[in-house]
Amino acid sequence: MSQQYKYSPDIPEIFRCRVPLPGTSQAYLIKGSFRDNIKYGDKLHLYGKEPLGFNLSVTPGAVVPETIQIISVRDSGNTGAVNFVNTCVFGENSESNVLLCTHTLSMDEFHTESELEITLEKSSRVNFVIMQNEHNSSSHKMKFNVKLSKGSYLRMNIVSLHGARLENIINVRLEEEDATCELNGIYLVDGIQEIRTTVNMDHLVPRCHSNQLFKGILNDESKALFSGKITVFKNAQKTEAYQANHNLLLSRKAKVYAQPQLEIYADDVKCSHGATSGRLDDLALFYMRSRGIGLSEARLLQQLAFVYDVLEKINNEPLRNRLQEMVESRLRGEFGQCMNCSMNCC
Amino acid sequence: MLEIKGLRASIDGKEILKGIDFSVKAGEIHAIMGPNGSGKSTLSAVLAGRDHFDVTAGEVKYYGENLLELAPEERAHKGIFLGFQYPVEIPGVSNVNFMKTAINEKRKFENLPPLTAAEYLKLMREKMAVVEMDSSFSSRGVNVGFSGGEKKRNEIFQMAMLDPKLAILDETDSGLDVDALRIVAAGVNKLKKPDNAFIIITHYQRLLDYIVPDIVHVLYDGRIIKTAGKELALEVETRGYDWLIKG
Repeated sequence: MSQQYKYSPDIPEIFRCRVPLPGTSQAYLIKGSFRDNIKYGDKLHLYGKEPLGFNLSVTPGAVVPETIQIISVRDSGNTGAVNFVNTCVFGENSESNVLLCTHTLSMDEFHTESELEITLEKSSRVNFVIMQNEHNSSSHKMKFNVKLSKGSYLRMNIVSLHGARLENIINVRLEEEDATCELNGIYLVDGIQEIRTTVNMDHLVPRCHSNQLFKGILNDESKALFSGKITVFKNAQKTEAYQANHNLLLSRKAKVYAQPQLEIYADDVKCSHGATSGRLDDLALFYMRSRGIGLSEARLLQQLAFVYDVLEKINNEPLRNRLQEMVESRLRGEFGQCMNCSMNCC
Repeated sequence: MLEIKGLRASIDGKEILKGIDFSVKAGEIHAIMGPNGSGKSTLSAVLAGRDHFDVTAGEVKYYGENLLELAPEERAHKGIFLGFQYPVEIPGVSNVNFMKTAINEKRKFENLPPLTAAEYLKLMREKMAVVEMDSSFSSRGVNVGFSGGEKKRNEIFQMAMLDPKLAILDETDSGLDVDALRIVAAGVNKLKKPDNAFIIITHYQRLLDYIVPDIVHVLYDGRIIKTAGKELALEVETRGYDWLIKG
């Protein structure tokens, strides 16, 4: 794995994103400025936009099993606010896998706003994983504007591991029939971290499916806001749309605000939405302890069990295992040690 | 091994155990019977250390040590095992990893090195055979999607893995069909040794056809109202509890 890791000449060599997988191609996005150019023959082209952001285009009919990894980094010395727009267009009948990681390399107060315009042409299939791991003074707002054409399929998983103020706004438009969007997220916050998630899932036409599952674990005085809305437009008959948001609060001072919303203007649909917040289950903790597993390990196992079904939805197995390890390390509090270290090795 | 004296316990101010006395010696099998709501499950939970019950009086000595002071995991390390009436599901944690964690925590307490992967697999195969468990169970999440019978077999499997000194089985027979009951009972019988002991909590006499107790206690309204030999279980089966309660 290590020999396949690509370093960037523009940031300290010691930094490495721990997510990369064998067979992935990596490209750096440093303070929004894209540094690499990746081409898979005629199948896929990833290149920088002027002045900031990237373009990813996948040729109609192209099947690219390798994961394309984009590593977005903010490092010290470039601490000002930055915003940029990236574009991804997945051509008709294409199949591709994208991994986007965001990092900060110092404790500076970074402000980043990025947008991703994602278009899935007819019958294209895309797996998109986003991993966010930033320092405790970083604010990052990411906005995803997604359009799905006829028969296309998007599976998007957002794993928010760490960051002072993360915000994800996901607007999905199911614009043509028989499109499917699977949208899943995990957020882990502690200290005084905050995370906001907004989802607008618009079913504009008949026979589309969407499924959302967002789960969060909150500790200390952290906060999470989840505002998710499914709108089923007047003609969108035979829609199936589901949304669930579940939160596990580990401390009395952690707060979650959940607003699941459903607006339906069609009459032949299957929809559900719901949100819960709860704490660790005493009986399950007791069960594990009665087998000799200590309290802190039992608490950890239960947290891992809580997010397991979301991680399970990442269908790339090595990537899923890697993210599972990172979630575990995060929940063990190991990221806390990185607080003052600029070489955030994640 | 175990001495219980004047044990009283309550939950939310409501007294459930109203003075329990009995002792268990190594090599014995005790059965505790009684109608619903008599305090059987509370007794087992208190012995295993569930902290939502308040012990208001009495003492429990385990090999001379005050058991009530110990955390549930410490009790487990010292050889106490509770088989749950309703085993808990833990999605995302495979049976293999769950038991490996449990065994290695116990070994840490005993100052033993963790088992190697090969040693662990060997032990697991051996103990799965005790309860006729299919090897596909090991990779599945703990109790996730298991039938009632499979869950109970998993409890006996876990007990076999941990090799406790004192096993408390809380209504292990509830919800079992005859085949599962036979497997569970055979598992217990195979694990019985001169230096360990069992407390079997049961509603019916049925399980006691397969596991022969040395001593039978009848618990009613938080007290043991009758203690006798195995014949008491048969008498309860034919006459019910009323004659004991009224007597």
